[in-house]
Parts: sequence; structure tokens; C-alpha cells
Amino acid sequence: MRLPIATVAAVCVVGLAGCKAAPPSKMESKTIIFAKHHFFVGNKKQKNPLPYTHENWEDGKEAFSHYCVACHGMDGQNTGVPFIDHVSPPIPSLASEDVQSYTDGQLKWILDNGIRPSGMPGSKGILSDDELWSIVVFLRHLPPAGSQGVPDMYTH
Amino acid sequence: MKTKFMLQVLCVGMIAAGVFSTRTVRAQDSPKRIEVTAKRFTYEPADITVKKGEPVVLVIKSADVAHGLRFRELDLNAKIDKGGTAELKFTPDKTGDFVGHCSVFCGSGHGEMTLTLHVVN
Repeated sequence: MRLPIATVAAVCVVGLAGCKAAPPSKMESKTIIFAKHHFFVGNKKQKNPLPYTHENWEDGKEAFSHYCVACHGMDGQNTGVPFIDHVSPPIPSLASEDVQSYTDGQLKWILDNGIRPSGMPGSKGILSDDELWSIVVFLRHLPPAGSQGVPDMYTH
Repeated sequence: MKTKFMLQVLCVGMIAAGVFSTRTVRAQDSPKRIEVTAKRFTYEPADITVKKGEPVVLVIKSADVAHGLRFRELDLNAKIDKGGTAELKFTPDKTGDFVGHCSVFCGSGHGEMTLTLHVVN
């Protein structure tokens, strides 16, 4: 059986529209956030072996600056990221309730493995365990929004 | 006569003490030097065994980009410029296996660039 050309074209148009980076609906966002927190992101109980100290925070800030800043900004709150309003699913502020309500172990799990299909990459092997835990320390004590300027890569 | 003998004994004793003390100082002043090459994403050698209480100098040479070597538990950190050399001087004061990591981001395998230091009695 041959499909009419109009039907094939309609399917293609719907498919392409589906690829567009449009913001997800509220229902979609709520469902995904719930599923991530309760089913998909593991390691809920692991504790951060690094206590909060200024040195560990500085280590975390430095490790974060290697490439996390490309999407999250220097402050973890998307400051200066030029495409921030054009990504779907959107890149959350790391100071948001959505992110801060993860346990330390879950944050480490996300840093290790990334989150599909958000575009968040896993960093296991790229950064050491030490560095990843220090990033968790940094995430728990983010600097005020806008206080760290714009990532270098977006200033020239 | 007796006084002369005593003086001779004293002189010999002082000379001997001087010689031995010099040797002691020399032993303390010459730490064991171990050469390490750092390159993406390994150290060569990747395992080093040293003795507790024995001064050590790790002479770390970068064969490519900038690297570092940090032992968090030993509070040691060295940064090596691209193609350069750095020295990490220390005297291990506890036994065990300590894993050092590259402390200067050097690329996709940076997180797995480690050197294990075995400190034995």
C-alpha cells in the first residue's frame, strides 16, 4: 500500500516540529523532575567525603570552571550564557529548588553519569572523584547570581 | 704525660665526632630523588615506593601540556608548566598507599591520571 504524499509530508512536518527546541509544558517538566528525583538518579545515600571548607569550595569552583561554566555560567546560575533561553529542556539554575533538593550523593551521580536527554554530560574519568566531590561542595554554596562575571569564552 | 695522653684522646674523639656528625648531616641533606614523567594521561612510573621518615624529592617533568600532582591526604601539590619541571619535596610521616591526582585540568582523561605512592617502614 502506498501512502499519499500529503500524509508523508504531514508526518515530516510534525516530526521536524518535534525537533524544535521549544520549552516543555509544565506537566512534562513536573513529570520528568519527579521521575529524576525518585527513580532515575541513584546514589541517594552516599555522603560527601569532603566537608565544607574554604579550600574545598575553592577546589570545587576551579573544577567547575573547566567546562561546566559553558552551560551553567561562573555562578552556576546561567549568568552570561548566551543560549540559555534557547535550550530545551532548559538548563536549570543550580541554585534552584529542583537542583538543591537532590542529595549530595545524587548530585555526584549526575556529575558522574550525566542526564539523558538533557545534554548534561557525565564527567567520570574527565574529572577525578576528588574534583567531582569538591564541585558538590561548590554547588551547595553557590556565589550570588552575577557575582562571578561572564565565562571567558563569551567575552570575545 | 697523663695530661698529654688525655689531650690526644680528646682530639681523636673530637675529630671522630666531627666526621660522624658530617656524615649524618650529609645523609639528611641528600633526599632520594625520583624522576617522574607526566604526560596525557599517565605518570611514568605510576607506582612509587618510599620509606617513612626518608626525605624524598619527586622531580616531575611534563612531556606535553601543563600538569599537576596532588596528594590530598599528604597536603602536597605541585604544578608543572607545559614542557617544564617541578619538584615535590617531602618526608613521608605515615605509612600506607596514597593516590595522587593530576591537579591541572589537562583534557578528557584528566580524572584518571593518577600516581600511587606506597609508603613503607
